[in-house]
Amino acid sequence: MARRMDEEYDYLFKVVLIGDSGVGKSNLLSRFTRNEFCLESKSTIGVEFATRTLQVEGRTVKAQIWDTAGQERYRAITSAYYRGALGALLVYDVTKPMSFDNVSRWLKELRDHADSNIVIMLIGNKTDLKHLRAVTTEDAQSYAEKEGLSFIETSALEAINVEKAFQTILSEIYRIISKKPLSAEDPGQANIKEGKTIVVGESEANQKRSCCSSS
Amino acid sequence: MEKKTLIDDYEPGPVPSPRPVDRFGFVKLDVGNNIPEAVVKDRSVFERERDERRLRKWRKMIGVNGSDWKHYVRRKPNVVKSRIRKGIPDCLRGLVWQLISGSRDLLLMNPGVYEQLVIYETSAAEMDIIRDISRTFPTHVFFQQRHGPGQRSLYNVLKAYSVYDREVGYVQGMGFVAGLLLLYMSEEDAFWLLVALLKGAVHAPMEGLYLVGLPLVQQYLSQLEQLVKEHLPKLGEHFAQEMINPSMYASQWFITVFSYSFPFHLALRIWDVFLFEGVKIVFKVGLALLKFRHDELIKLPFEKLVHALRNFPEDALDPDTLLPMAYSIKVTKRLEELTEEYEKKNGKTVQSTKLNENQSPAS
Repeated sequence: MARRMDEEYDYLFKVVLIGDSGVGKSNLLSRFTRNEFCLESKSTIGVEFATRTLQVEGRTVKAQIWDTAGQERYRAITSAYYRGALGALLVYDVTKPMSFDNVSRWLKELRDHADSNIVIMLIGNKTDLKHLRAVTTEDAQSYAEKEGLSFIETSALEAINVEKAFQTILSEIYRIISKKPLSAEDPGQANIKEGKTIVVGESEANQKRSCCSSS
Repeated sequence: MEKKTLIDDYEPGPVPSPRPVDRFGFVKLDVGNNIPEAVVKDRSVFERERDERRLRKWRKMIGVNGSDWKHYVRRKPNVVKSRIRKGIPDCLRGLVWQLISGSRDLLLMNPGVYEQLVIYETSAAEMDIIRDISRTFPTHVFFQQRHGPGQRSLYNVLKAYSVYDREVGYVQGMGFVAGLLLLYMSEEDAFWLLVALLKGAVHAPMEGLYLVGLPLVQQYLSQLEQLVKEHLPKLGEHFAQEMINPSMYASQWFITVFSYSFPFHLALRIWDVFLFEGVKIVFKVGLALLKFRHDELIKLPFEKLVHALRNFPEDALDPDTLLPMAYSIKVTKRLEELTEEYEKKNGKTVQSTKLNENQSPAS
């Protein structure tokens, strides 16, 4: 198996993917980290994890992304993963009004469990299902403005705006982080024990099997 | 028969075009080194003869339609245990699972109940269940066709359970358990086996895996963490240093009893033992997996470690290697102590079972 060179990065940003079950969180993650979309994907049980290293504002940033099960009962497990997260991608399905209505409950969940300075981005996914759309861009946009969230619509299936969504939230995090001096009291800087510019082996991209395993 | 269930409002989707499947009915991936298939070796003449001998022994042991089973288990429990650990013959698996789980007795004591639950009752969880149906074993031929027979059975069992036990309702993960059962038995049989497991017909009830707060998941994960520290101290230390929490890799081991992402032939062997001996086999298999990979795992930094804990190599997943290793790890007594400690600290996780005493089968 081919091995990539070990990577260096300037920042490590922990981001969580949250939102109702079935809105496409896992496929947004696989599109972003492996450029894959799986039509035969399984519902997420507990948490999943993936990383990708990319350039943000001229810096090398490693995004460490935790994908969570969407069903309410799983919050008993998943809410522990909000702690230390610098960003949250709050996803709804543009064809499912209920998943948009529930956005406010997810925001409350973040307020209760996440750090107060967490950057939140609202994502309306599945824009490829044009004939089924039930949440308008305008409604979501104005809701996001009211709540002070950034907002974007994506299609993980057609790979539209997925890159942009992650780039945007990572840039926002970077702008906030880089304004502050790095200090031990900064709760957001995950894995601060390792310090800045760390050499860590990269393994995800090459070892991953196809997204569907057969059982 | 008119069923007032949402899924029945839909016509079945097109039958998916045939693709090559493995011996359990999962679509083969075109990836060359697909794990489940690679481990299934060609069976030699010796192995075939051995399997036929085993099958004869098994048939004798259970009698016609399970009539001699209880008698045999009472007389020779250790023979039964050791035969089950070697794997139940696939053609008898469905029947034996019902016998050892106590579900057969539940079924006989509750005629007509399942039908009632499926046809006449409605559940608040219907939409949740439907949303996950096509995301449960999506690569298995039985469950692939939209609104086909497999998906309907799965829906019916899950809906019936969510009505039978409204406190549990439906939780993601239950579908994999029900789906696995449905590959070996009828809807009604699968439903009662689910009841037997969650309500504790033979072993401690497992409904706490799915109740609000997932209390039993939390308990099992904390016990697993402790057992790792005790059985594999170097690895336990490494996990602590790298801040690895068992929920990062082991939640689905418990919530779906290894049916979510492990090779199917391994999952079946684990289920054989799980139904007879209870949840401790999940701990044993988990510890065996970690032990098998111990020397690699203790060298890995956080991210690689999380990845490795979710993607075990095929040699670790061969039942004939992994299971003997799991059987050799002794956890029963320590698990009892840890349960007691946990309950002292956190209160009793699972309240007393709701199965009536007289429904509890003698085993």
